Amino acid sequence: MTALATRPIEARKAEAASVWQSHGVPHRRVEEWKYSDLKTALGEKGVGADLAEWRVASLPAGVEMFDLSLSNPPDWVKTHFAANTGNVMGAASLALSAGGVAFRVPKDAAIVAPLKLDFTGPGHVRGLLVLEEGASLTLVEGVGLSDFRNVGFEIALNARARLGHVRISPGAGNSVLVEEAFIRVAAGASYRGHFASFGSKLSRMELQIALEGEGAEAHLSGVSVLDDRRHSDVTSHVIHRHGNTNSTQLFKHVVGGRGQAVYQGKVTVAKGANGSDSSQTAKALLLGEAAEADLKPELEIFADDVKCAHGAAVGDLDAESLFYMRARGIPEAEARGLLLQAFLEDAIAEIAATDQRELVRTELLTALKGIA
Amino acid sequence: MSIAEETRTQVAEIGEKYKYGFITDIEMERAPKGLSEDTVRYISAKKGEPEWMLEWRLGAFKRWQAMKEPKWARVHYPKIDYQNAYYYAAPKNTPLKQSLDEVDPKLLETYKKLGIPLHEQMALAGVAVDAVFDSVSVATTFKEKLNEAGVIFCPISEAIRDYPELVQKYLGSVVPVTDNFFATLNAAVFSDGTFVYVPKGVRCPMELSTYFRINASETGQFERTLIIADEGSYVSYLEGCTAPKRDENQLHAAVVELVALDNAEIKYSTVQNWYPGDENGVGGIYNFVTKRGDCRGRKSKISWTQVETGSAITWKYPSCILRGDDSVGEFYSIAIANHYQQADTGTKMIHLGANTKSRIISKGISAGKAQNTYRGLVSVYGKAKNARNYTQCDSLLMGADCGAHTVPYIESRNKTARIEHEATTSKIAEDQLFYCLARGIPQDEAVSLIVNGFCKEVLQQLPMEFAVEAQKLVGISLEGSVG
Amino acid sequence: MLEIKNLHVAVDGKEILKGLSLNIHAGQVHAIMGPNGSGKSTLSYVLAGRAGYDITEGSILYNGEDLGALAPEERAAKGVFLAMQYPVEIPGVTTMTFLKTALNSQRRARGESDLDAVGVLKLVRAKAKTLNVSEEMLKRALNVGFSGGEKKRLEILQMAIFEPKLAILDETDSGLDIDALRLVAEGVNALRDPSRAMLVITHYQRLLDYIVPDRIHVLARGRIVAEGGKELALELEAKGYEHIVGQAA
Repeated sequence: MTALATRPIEARKAEAASVWQSHGVPHRRVEEWKYSDLKTALGEKGVGADLAEWRVASLPAGVEMFDLSLSNPPDWVKTHFAANTGNVMGAASLALSAGGVAFRVPKDAAIVAPLKLDFTGPGHVRGLLVLEEGASLTLVEGVGLSDFRNVGFEIALNARARLGHVRISPGAGNSVLVEEAFIRVAAGASYRGHFASFGSKLSRMELQIALEGEGAEAHLSGVSVLDDRRHSDVTSHVIHRHGNTNSTQLFKHVVGGRGQAVYQGKVTVAKGANGSDSSQTAKALLLGEAAEADLKPELEIFADDVKCAHGAAVGDLDAESLFYMRARGIPEAEARGLLLQAFLEDAIAEIAATDQRELVRTELLTALKGIA
Repeated sequence: MSIAEETRTQVAEIGEKYKYGFITDIEMERAPKGLSEDTVRYISAKKGEPEWMLEWRLGAFKRWQAMKEPKWARVHYPKIDYQNAYYYAAPKNTPLKQSLDEVDPKLLETYKKLGIPLHEQMALAGVAVDAVFDSVSVATTFKEKLNEAGVIFCPISEAIRDYPELVQKYLGSVVPVTDNFFATLNAAVFSDGTFVYVPKGVRCPMELSTYFRINASETGQFERTLIIADEGSYVSYLEGCTAPKRDENQLHAAVVELVALDNAEIKYSTVQNWYPGDENGVGGIYNFVTKRGDCRGRKSKISWTQVETGSAITWKYPSCILRGDDSVGEFYSIAIANHYQQADTGTKMIHLGANTKSRIISKGISAGKAQNTYRGLVSVYGKAKNARNYTQCDSLLMGADCGAHTVPYIESRNKTARIEHEATTSKIAEDQLFYCLARGIPQDEAVSLIVNGFCKEVLQQLPMEFAVEAQKLVGISLEGSVG
Repeated sequence: MLEIKNLHVAVDGKEILKGLSLNIHAGQVHAIMGPNGSGKSTLSYVLAGRAGYDITEGSILYNGEDLGALAPEERAAKGVFLAMQYPVEIPGVTTMTFLKTALNSQRRARGESDLDAVGVLKLVRAKAKTLNVSEEMLKRALNVGFSGGEKKRLEILQMAIFEPKLAILDETDSGLDIDALRLVAEGVNALRDPSRAMLVITHYQRLLDYIVPDRIHVLARGRIVAEGGKELALELEAKGYEHIVGQAA
């Protein structure tokens, strides 16, 4: 991975500040935010300038940690921190936060115990995770409820590193929770991320993933179960910069009440990135009378020797399956519940870590029970 | 060189051979250059329009002056100077003719070169042809047959004079004057186009067709078409265009409005053959078209079928508003972009009524350094019970320098609706080509065969007369370029 | 047990059954045969209570109760079982989970207590063995990736587990080879009982060699056009449907 330490951190922060100044809070007339009007959701208060907090619930042995609010960052922070300044909310978090936390897993360290990191409180905060060559880790990210929080997270996976990432965003009526993750995957490295969301007033998870070397992979999955007026938005952009890279995406949404599920998945295959393989599947089941799903699986292909496919579907439960279950004595409500679980199952199966998978499954069951 | 590379090179050699590149040397009558309220008045006067039509135009012009040209991601073009063009050009000696015998022989020769032997068409295919020559219709034929059936098929300028109630009732009802920048411009300066009205219960006895041709230097083409299918009727309309070689980019901002009432069906097919710009991207037509169909009645149906292979820049989204219960909208498209062409096309299916269905099959082929984007919207509104949509969007990339992009928007607000969308990207495989060659099929034919196979579903939708031309067109546009 | 009187059923507004009458008593096995499009599947679906199959005239009494008024799950709890011609695949739901949920749902509806996981497992295993349904199949998602024969065997396994009073077998033999057919037939025959009635729906006579019926009814164009004992099957085999249907017309 090329070093980015060409400009000092202060310069990058200044650049971010100017990006933030010129764009301001995104609203529905900005193409990428058309389904998630952040400006309206925030109201007069705007993004504020609070400093949100972070808490390490569990730090496994062998993982280095650095508090970003301290001065004299180590070289590995200087190299990777604030590499991305172009994204609007990412720029905001850089410009408006003074703190955050950074982690590093040294070369070839295979960490078994998960790193549990929670973001809490209102305001802006940053995160940075660097896996050196051959390292591996599972990151479990907790999302605390809050009026408004904006998290800017950067992840650098060096050659052959492997990261499993699980983020569960709890259901909350009033929270506005925004996070942007910028992930760089080097040759032979792999990123596997799962995003379970139970919605909130506005909940947006943005992922920008660059596959930069031969054999780099990204596998994204997610489930959302929404009720009331809950909103959940996953906006991803996977860029195959190099040939023979691989990405998959599987997102399933169950929307009840007046919930709104949004999925915007863009895949770019750069010129010359031959042998790239990408697939995307996004499906939504609408259960509520006023439920809404907005899916936009986008492909931007500049190379010809590639395999790219995507599919999206919105509908309701399969009538045939429902009848079969009822005809065998399972009451309608229970049959629907089973089918909803079955619908979400393959997305959950993507979670490699057993504990996390079970946790997500349990949360889903609870949420499904409450769905109208 | 591998087979694929060789074919790619051959594709690159295609463009200059644009066989329709020529200019007719006929005296033209022009409005003064530029666009002002006077230009609008000039056009209206030249067409002998009633007061209400002039007012409509002027209203549109005022709106246009206050609007800003839209910016589109991925489609780039040098700024258009709207004042540096002629907005009205008509061959001087052409009042409307009733039969071809009265038409200027030089014009007829033009048509011959274009490959439209009108006599032949009239005699064999039974197609009524309204050949538009630079803003004024020159010949409208087969009026009698259509009169018998009660079908009105005439230039829009004629309809404004002879059927004002119909025009007033429907004009601007599907694409409102303020709909978008180019539609508003069109409303102000449209110079001609087609008007079709099919009465209740009538199945239009023949395919209706219109040929366009932009001839005069710097004349934008602003056609306005309005087709109304009354209850229980059926009409199939074919639109095809060719254009001469030009250095200045020429603007084409047409508006097509379709209205289908209860149980009526409109089939609208287009084979677009505009000049695409030379292999360096110079010249060529700018094609910004607003096409929309309103399935107003119950069980009404509108289907759009298009084969687009020309224009330097294309921006068009034939759409259907599925208003009436049980109405159906269809969109079948083959869009080919080669050299430096940029295409941003697609469709919008708006589901408003109950039990509405839509079907979208889009085949995009990119070659050379072209960029081909499919942009589609399937929107199901809250009251659209049991809406059904199926979309299949396939891209074929020929070469390492072109791009194929898909941007589908899927919005559902009704829980009983079912929307399915699939997209794939591929290239013509060496082994597919080799298989054909090994069975004795020469390269160009093999490419044509494979590409036509890729496009089969769409080609099948075209009325017979067009299907053959379309297949040839696909072949010509891609001669030497492999999928 | 089952009393069908002058049943008219419409599907999507089109009338398929045009006045069908039929009586089945406990302990009996009746067969319904008929050409394609005669309404055989419609009959089975309307008995199981599938939405979209509307009774426009006539009635269905099950043990004196109006069956048409009950939801599908209520019918199942009361002992109605339909072995489907095309069993549905339900990804994400394992066979075992499905069996347990269905069994306990039915028990609950009848006021019985749930069987615990161990109890269900024991019950299922015992019955699965005779039908050659493997442990592995039980762990897989319901019917996903099952061959035609496996799907049918699973249907019969369910019949064995739920112990219905009225079993309707809709073209259980379709898509099966001789061995699979024999296995399925054995499973069905093992469930014959004086308290149980069966309605076997089939197109071909072959199945009836193995599951010998007490009475055969021929269904054509929405009505019963002929009735007889088991010999009727042989007659149909020899002369074809045209002959019998033609005669009755």
